[in-house]
Amino acid sequence: MAEIDRRKTAFKFSFWLIVSVGLFWYIVRSYTSGQMINWYYYTASLDGYAVDANLSMNATKDNPVMLNIAKQDEIKGLMAIPVAKGDRLPKNANGVISLAEIKTGKRVALEGQTIKVTVPWQIKESKGFKYKDTFKHKGIQTNPWSGAWNVAMVLCLGLSLGLLAEGLTDLMGMKIEKIDHGH
Amino acid sequence: MFDFAIAGVQAPIFLLVLVGLTVGIVGGFIGVGGGYMVTPALIVFGFPGYMASGIDMTHIAGKGLVSTVRHRQLGNIDWTLALSMIAGTMLGVELGVRLLVYFKNLGITGIVLLVTSVAVMFTLFLYTQIETHRAHKKMEKMEKEGKQVGRELQTSNLPRLFQAIPLAPIVRCRTARVIVSMWVIVLVGMVTGLLAGFLGVGGGFIRVPALVYVIGASTHVAVGTDLVEIVVSGAYGALRHSIEGNVDMMAVIFMVAGAMIGAQVGSIATAYVRGPAIRYILSYSLILATLGAALRLVYVLTGQNVQWLSLAAVVLTLGEMIFLCLFISSLVWFAVRRRGGKWVPDWVGSLVI
Repeated sequence: MAEIDRRKTAFKFSFWLIVSVGLFWYIVRSYTSGQMINWYYYTASLDGYAVDANLSMNATKDNPVMLNIAKQDEIKGLMAIPVAKGDRLPKNANGVISLAEIKTGKRVALEGQTIKVTVPWQIKESKGFKYKDTFKHKGIQTNPWSGAWNVAMVLCLGLSLGLLAEGLTDLMGMKIEKIDHGH
Repeated sequence: MFDFAIAGVQAPIFLLVLVGLTVGIVGGFIGVGGGYMVTPALIVFGFPGYMASGIDMTHIAGKGLVSTVRHRQLGNIDWTLALSMIAGTMLGVELGVRLLVYFKNLGITGIVLLVTSVAVMFTLFLYTQIETHRAHKKMEKMEKEGKQVGRELQTSNLPRLFQAIPLAPIVRCRTARVIVSMWVIVLVGMVTGLLAGFLGVGGGFIRVPALVYVIGASTHVAVGTDLVEIVVSGAYGALRHSIEGNVDMMAVIFMVAGAMIGAQVGSIATAYVRGPAIRYILSYSLILATLGAALRLVYVLTGQNVQWLSLAAVVLTLGEMIFLCLFISSLVWFAVRRRGGKWVPDWVGSLVI
């Protein structure tokens, strides 16, 4: 009887170990391969220019960043690609500079076929104890299905890790009995 | 260091695992999501505020499920109570979010949120602390008199009042050993959900005292049952945050991995203590969180000019996590010593089993 139980717990542990590792591997792979990031930077939520925000984060009045306007499917370096609201973002884009912002001309200005970025704008989010401006994540609409996918993955991982831990304690012979709630 | 491409930051993996581990211990023990501890920690690691909230909420759903699996094994979940409460909780959360939007439009969200947090948490701390102290003294007296002391003892008369409400349908919650009107359960879910939705937290620190002092469940059952609610409300919050693009999944899974171990320690630790010990830890967690929120409130009221206030609030929050973990570990250590017939301090004797 004890032999059967041991075999059962060993199977339970092995099964949930495989499921947990599989899920972990799948999430890491879809993140590092860029699939999850493509879902995140999905479509433009306003009319403007898609940019690689990382290249313009340190822009100042004295040291502006000049982005060349081009019509391509992929951002390569200092480049801005025109997008309309609802358009799929080009590859490597992680922010959108809105047309409205360009019209005001205070922080970014249109100079022929170039966008001059003088002051990073929009989000003022805390970064550690300091505040840092960034173009990132503004003007972005994520894929709604990616939200459901994220939640499903986290719940599956939570369940499998919980059952894996349960299998491990069973395998180790730890007696975890139900608590008597008699008042 | 790992490059979190979506959050746009680089942060060490071990710190995220460590936060998941410590909050897992506390959350598994007192039945909270720990949002008020995780979000400030993530901001310190460099994650933008909106991203910290999204990552926190998503990790709470996963971590809550890890703890729920273990509490199910320990028999700490009353499924009738949990399922009856879900509808009220969801409705309350939605109302809370709408109330938040209303205050946002008035432009006074920050101050209203902080004042409400301080008021709610301080009131809960006072009531829990006073009642638990009374229960603790009573248990000590019973032990000295040589009477048998059970796992639970609470001295509040509130549950009797609420259990006497004769509104049909009346529900029998077998694990919690409570017979109460379904409407009371739904109302508790709604009010605690409203506060949770408004304050932007999972709501465990409100729901656990409510389950104990309003419904009359034992603290262990309140913790286990509340974790089911946390999984549901956490998943809903995670969905909303994910659609808004506020979630970096890699940060979430590193924290859930840490929480897997922490949640086991916290959940299994409940088997070593009596109800008042859990309520003590909950009340200490409430007062420390209240102090943190009060510091932030003063920081906001002084026009965000006194920088050390903000820093002190973060240090206090991080220190709270370590303090609570040490407290829980020491209780388990004393329980093991007591089971082995070794000496333990008098005040601990009646708290452990």
